[in-house]
Amino acid sequence: MDGKTVAVCGTNGKTTTNNLLAALLRAQGMRVICNEIGSNMIAGVITAYLECCTRTGRVEADIACLEVDEAFGVHVLPHIEPDIVIVTNLFRDQLDRYGEIDITRELLVRALKKVPGAMLVLNGDDPLCASLCRTPPRVRTFFGVSEEVPVPTGGESISDESDAVQTEAREGRFCVFCHHELQYRYYHYSQLGDYFCEGCNFRRPTLDFAAREVRLDPHLAFSMNDLPVQTAYRGFYNVYNVLAALTVATLLEINLDDIDAVLASYAPQIGRMEEFVIDGMPAVLNLSKNPTGFNQTIAAMRADTRQKNVVVVVNDNDQDGTDISWIWDVDFEQMAEADAGFARFVASGIRAEDVALRMKYAEITPDTVLFEKDVRRVIEVLLRGEGEVTGKSGASRGEVLYVLVNYTPLFETQRVLLDLQAAGSAARADATPRRRRA
Amino acid sequence: MNIRIAHLYPDLLNLYGDRGNITCLQKRCSWRGIEATVHEYRLGDELPLDETDILFLGGGSDREQCIVSEHLQGHRDAIQSYVESDGVLVAVCGGYQLLGHSYQQAGETIAGLSIIDSYTIAGERRLIGNVVMRCQHQQLVSAPSSATSVVGFENHAGRTYLGPAHTPLGVVTQGYGNNGEDGGEGVLYRNVIGTYLHGPLFPKNPLLADFVIRSALQRKYSSSIALSPLDDSVEHRAHDYLTRCRLARCQ
Ligand SMILES: [Zn+2]
Repeated sequence: MDGKTVAVCGTNGKTTTNNLLAALLRAQGMRVICNEIGSNMIAGVITAYLECCTRTGRVEADIACLEVDEAFGVHVLPHIEPDIVIVTNLFRDQLDRYGEIDITRELLVRALKKVPGAMLVLNGDDPLCASLCRTPPRVRTFFGVSEEVPVPTGGESISDESDAVQTEAREGRFCVFCHHELQYRYYHYSQLGDYFCEGCNFRRPTLDFAAREVRLDPHLAFSMNDLPVQTAYRGFYNVYNVLAALTVATLLEINLDDIDAVLASYAPQIGRMEEFVIDGMPAVLNLSKNPTGFNQTIAAMRADTRQKNVVVVVNDNDQDGTDISWIWDVDFEQMAEADAGFARFVASGIRAEDVALRMKYAEITPDTVLFEKDVRRVIEVLLRGEGEVTGKSGASRGEVLYVLVNYTPLFETQRVLLDLQAAGSAARADATPRRRRA
Repeated sequence: MNIRIAHLYPDLLNLYGDRGNITCLQKRCSWRGIEATVHEYRLGDELPLDETDILFLGGGSDREQCIVSEHLQGHRDAIQSYVESDGVLVAVCGGYQLLGHSYQQAGETIAGLSIIDSYTIAGERRLIGNVVMRCQHQQLVSAPSSATSVVGFENHAGRTYLGPAHTPLGVVTQGYGNNGEDGGEGVLYRNVIGTYLHGPLFPKNPLLADFVIRSALQRKYSSSIALSPLDDSVEHRAHDYLTRCRLARCQ
């Protein structure tokens, strides 16, 4: 293959970033290799190539956009020899798979050392990411949000030391070079913001691609270096995914004149705030598999003014990480507040017992918490507002259903929602003529 | 009644949902009308142990654990007299290793606090998975010679060995425990609980949480305390999932 190769790494947002970039490139008529459904382990990367191979083994594409799992980067990056490596962010993820966040960063450093010619595109707001530009020093481009965002982003106020509730992912807030606690001029969420170190002058780099005027209602919009950007996404965290994709598109000298059309038509992929309508009731499916991602989902739900029912599905299969302690670092407390607009909660999945326990200690009103391991049954009961689960009525004031899942329940849950959506529209089509007659 | 919980270095030691342990102790107090305040201590802070009723030390990454162990040496004698006067100390994972004479990291042996007669060496493979153990300590079980189960999740490379004066917190029926050899998990010494279990430890083991709260109150108010019972059905369901899971799924 003669074209360029882009690799996307990072804990959260790889899939969104990669697929959006591929969509932007395809809109230019380019032939793009892309591992599209988050199949980012080694097999997924190879499959993406094979799918574009001719019988003679030539890869027929102009460019490859490949998600690469941080932990496998050491093996994958030297093979694909990327021209550009994007790192979206580094958060605490599935602990028993990778060990601790330092180990994850170390693996990424080792991987990047093997591809010294690759240009780096880094999230400048993330100190763990930005510090990668010295591995070894090379051409790099930083993106980030260059002003304080006056909307709920799901982050805690760092200055409020008395708030013992929100402590997720603090380990990223120490300087990787001299171990001093980082100071922040302003702060977005987790360890992201405008930071500086008093110990060694490490600070947020100058942002080459900076987002300003971020708005969240009803969908994410912002300006990037004066280019207005309107997306179809919900959730503040998506600002980084869109920024990363647009940054790389710009570096590849793609014409961004008609990004509006791409962004508007670009459907989020499976389970990334994916929207359904079932019997007239809107439902949203979102992958929420670590504290930072989950807290961002909670922030997005709180920004939604409708009355919400929430199903939390947590499995502990190998691909999910068998340790589910992370749910205790999620701010379920943020959903317990009376004015947050939550009607019903359901604890579900293989570890439903633990989810229900977490909800109890967040002091979510017990009467609003249902327990049911069967996701299909839960969704049916909640959407139709009839029937009951564990002796409690499914009827509620909910105007929208959010289904939050970790990795292995994702595909099955999506299938359930699609089935119900199809059944609902079929039933409506049947019913329409009868209504007319009446 | 009120108790003070001192959470040591939560900015450095906060792996594996340690926050859930603190939340659990605090709620189980407040549900009984006992005021529990949590005080977080950072490096360099004074540590007012004479005002502390529960001392909590969590787990951290290697780098952070190393920073903490250096700083804690300055508090060593104070912590030891706190422990010997029945002060309540809960140490999880990395914090548990720090209580012993030494532990190993990247080929180096690092001095611990010698509060517990134990030492930790580095193992090759991480010991990871759900744990179920039997506890027979008098303080923990309702009737003599009965046993109770404690559940959690372990993830550690260190192998910890207890000296002859100590008995482990429990004996594993699933999982590895202190070193994967002798079946022991954690340690219970006076009012010190050291353990590799997170998950976190207390929410799924309300019996241990209440032991900690009761011990702290008895020491503070110098009287025998009976905690009012709580509805623990949600806790027991999560606990029992792991004990049942051992039979059904993980065998
Ligand atoms: Zn520094």
